[in-house]
Amino acid sequence: MAGDIATTKVDLTRVKPYGDTMNDGMTEVTFTLPVPYGPEADEAAKQIGSKMGLDEASVAFSKDLGQGFTFFVMYGKCQHTVDFTTIKVAKADVEIMSREECQEYILNNIKRNVIIVGATSGTDAHTVGIDAIMNMKGFHGHYGLERYKGIEAINMGSQVPNEVLIAKAIELNADAIIVSQIVTQKDVHVKNLTNLVELIEAEGIRDKIVLCCGGPRISYELAQELGYDAGFGSHTYAEDVASFILTEMVRRNLI
Amino acid sequence: MGLLREISSKYRVVSVIGMAKNAGKTTTLNYLIAEAEDEGLRLGITSTGRDGETVDLVTGTEKPKVFLPEDAIVALPSELYELSDAGLEILRLTEHSTSMGQVMLCRVAESGYVQIAGPVSTSGQKEICAEMLGLGAEMVLIDGAIDRRAIANPEASDAVILATGAALSRSMSKVAEETACVAELYGLPEIDEAWMRDEILKESNAGKIIIFKGDRARVSELKTGLAAGAALGNLIKKDEGYVYIPGALTGSVIAGLPTDVLRNTAIIVADPTRIFLDRTEWMRLRKKGLRVFLMAGVKIAAITVNPWSPEGYSFDSDALVESIGAFVSGIPVIDIRKGKRDENFK
Repeated sequence: MAGDIATTKVDLTRVKPYGDTMNDGMTEVTFTLPVPYGPEADEAAKQIGSKMGLDEASVAFSKDLGQGFTFFVMYGKCQHTVDFTTIKVAKADVEIMSREECQEYILNNIKRNVIIVGATSGTDAHTVGIDAIMNMKGFHGHYGLERYKGIEAINMGSQVPNEVLIAKAIELNADAIIVSQIVTQKDVHVKNLTNLVELIEAEGIRDKIVLCCGGPRISYELAQELGYDAGFGSHTYAEDVASFILTEMVRRNLI
Repeated sequence: MGLLREISSKYRVVSVIGMAKNAGKTTTLNYLIAEAEDEGLRLGITSTGRDGETVDLVTGTEKPKVFLPEDAIVALPSELYELSDAGLEILRLTEHSTSMGQVMLCRVAESGYVQIAGPVSTSGQKEICAEMLGLGAEMVLIDGAIDRRAIANPEASDAVILATGAALSRSMSKVAEETACVAELYGLPEIDEAWMRDEILKESNAGKIIIFKGDRARVSELKTGLAAGAALGNLIKKDEGYVYIPGALTGSVIAGLPTDVLRNTAIIVADPTRIFLDRTEWMRLRKKGLRVFLMAGVKIAAITVNPWSPEGYSFDSDALVESIGAFVSGIPVIDIRKGKRDENFK
């Protein structure tokens, strides 16, 4: 087949993993099987690899984890390709401003302090997401919202009941609510985010606030499905969130 | 008589809401769209989530696509416009922005599959519906998202179609009871006393809690009952007649009320979408004497059932239709795929 001939040029309509040469499909997979360590375990792993679509699946390393579990490192050649040219990912529709530009934007367009209330709500105890966005020191060299002149950032921490988060937003007359969901089982983040948006609608404040969610499993599509104004996934920082909230406030005339 | 004709003769804006994910909202929507095409009724269609994508965003299960006939009017954001299989003529760019772009109103010029997504807020949907009616739609269908029910708000839609089914629970009686509970909440009595209604409407923008005793109304400074159960408990004395709560009625709001207050004071909420009590809580509080009145109820135009769960189990369709029909009277219960209808309904 033409695609299998050694070439150095990438065909973006048929992209597959790269190991040593273009289109070799080389893939490394690691996983654990609930079977005792031994030759049968390696064979089981190979068959799993083959069902995953790996040609010439081989177990490069396996280790007895005890209690009838075995860990594997497997290599194989991926048979599948994807058409990179047709991929579309929804992205934020706003221009991202730096912290200084955000501050100037508030000064010129909003002319008062912007109040943002945030929390990790529900059962989730992980503050890493909300802290990265809100805390003064921020994350990865991107300062958090607390450092922005003109923004009053109230970080309520983790395991905050949705009702308490909303009550705080009502008490402070907040401009935006941002909620983080990090760890989730059986899609509990979806139930929790749904409950939050439904309570906000019931309280009659949906139109008065900008509502954002964030976390590793949050995307713009999911935000739309759940009824949020925006969703922020991995690799987003305080300036992404601030830029969105500020431009949205001006666009919706919430100033 | 077709379900759609029956509904369209009574209501102009109808939302399809689900008791759970995978309860068959989109299947119901597709069924109504097909009936509308047969009847020559021009539909407007919008969604509070996103509809017509092939794979579910949350569970990864396969989802029904939405096929729109020529001349229907549809709301969708710019990013989904590009993915549309149907020929769409842009009628208007609205001011509603979503995370997937600005919402546009389009006329279907050439029938085909379309992914639908409207404004994220209930008030935004209300405006879109009015625009679609203004553009010539004879009836508007709003497809709900997941199990979100805020769109049932009587200010946003004239009636709802409640989609329920096996996805809700492994126990058929539980599916029937939970569905009946929502029907009961939506049909709670409306408050009659004109002077109380006037008082509530007068203060509705301020969103404050109002306490009624005898023929006097007392407006409290409390803006929400959320996380304020204790404060609310202190506010209401045991011999007051009614209390109006402007926002959500949750378990924790009521938890602050002493039992004698609960027994002597009826609670008024704007509409059933403000009630956040599951069936167990509702039954328990009813036993303790809770009475709830509405400013406006929600009309259920029909209940559609899906006897299949994505988890692999299913119920007998007839039995499911009958067990739900036994609880609700005056509401048609239908398995749309089968066309089976509860016989008790006339």
